[in-house]
Amino acid sequence: MVMFFAVRFRQGMKAAIPIWIAFIPSSIAWGIAAQNHGLSLDEVVLMSAWVYSGPGQFAVLGPLAESKSTLQVLIAGFLMNLRFLPMSTALAPFFRGVKRVPLLLSSHVISASSFIVPYLQFQKEKEMASAPDDGYGNLAFFLGVGVTSFLVWVTGTAAGFGVALGFPPGFEEVLRFILPGYFAGLLVVEVKGWAMPLICLGSLTAAVAGAWISPGWGWLATAIFVATLGWGVEEWNSRASKSF
Amino acid sequence: MEFSRIQIILIMGLMAFAVRALPQILFVGGKFPEALDRWLRYVSYALICSIISITLFMVGARFEADAAPRRGLALALAIFIAHRTKSAVTGMIAGVLLVLILSWLH
Repeated sequence: MVMFFAVRFRQGMKAAIPIWIAFIPSSIAWGIAAQNHGLSLDEVVLMSAWVYSGPGQFAVLGPLAESKSTLQVLIAGFLMNLRFLPMSTALAPFFRGVKRVPLLLSSHVISASSFIVPYLQFQKEKEMASAPDDGYGNLAFFLGVGVTSFLVWVTGTAAGFGVALGFPPGFEEVLRFILPGYFAGLLVVEVKGWAMPLICLGSLTAAVAGAWISPGWGWLATAIFVATLGWGVEEWNSRASKSF
Repeated sequence: MEFSRIQIILIMGLMAFAVRALPQILFVGGKFPEALDRWLRYVSYALICSIISITLFMVGARFEADAAPRRGLALALAIFIAHRTKSAVTGMIAGVLLVLILSWLH
């Protein structure tokens, strides 16, 4: 049993190598940005280890550093982290038979990357007639991906904080660009269909007007409005096409 | 009621944990309606875009008109390179290099 768990954990680790490679620059970038925003090392490491959500951490970095309203920071973080809800839901059926405590503890390392790799692997194994339907084996594979990626993220964040201290003055412009540039790149690689690019473009421009009207809540409100509008139009479109 | 940064981070982590852990208890074997799943995804993407925008172009309620063209150009290059190479990191590096060159020229 223990040996099988270790084998599956190692399989997960191997599958996670591309995630580690992607996590190294992004975690270092986050550490640099957080240091640049005036967060201390313990705050930076605590946030990476306890919140463990790249976009969520990025979302609250500005408001947190500027000591904006607590509620505003928490709502921004919560909205960003809502995406874990469907990911966690999709993984749950593969952990059949696993006791509640290990399930709850392991859910902490669910991220977009540590969801996609195990999910696709489990789907592939499900289609193979010989594959065992073992919740603990699947959990071991998931932890092999999730725990190692988590460790890379936290270590990279601390390293980034140290790197930022060595930067010469005048680098603010570059530091300010790193994460927005990285997230724009992530978005453009993942965006599909017609609705998503329009929503992205709409919220990119509407946020400026939103922040101009209300620096605290304006961009949040415009993002939700643009997303809901795009979603509504797509829903209406698909219903209209079904009725014909 | 205002909290310290550490307290805010702790509360935020608890909320993130709840979002990750609750489905493991409540929705085992279940599935979200497709429409709701898509709305959640759209809101996340729209929030990321808004954050990109305000980080690059705004300081509080002020639009940074002086720096906006070079940052916008660097963002466009980052998007273009990421799209062509299918690598967000490559796009980011290209954008960083351009923003560095443009700010030095400026």
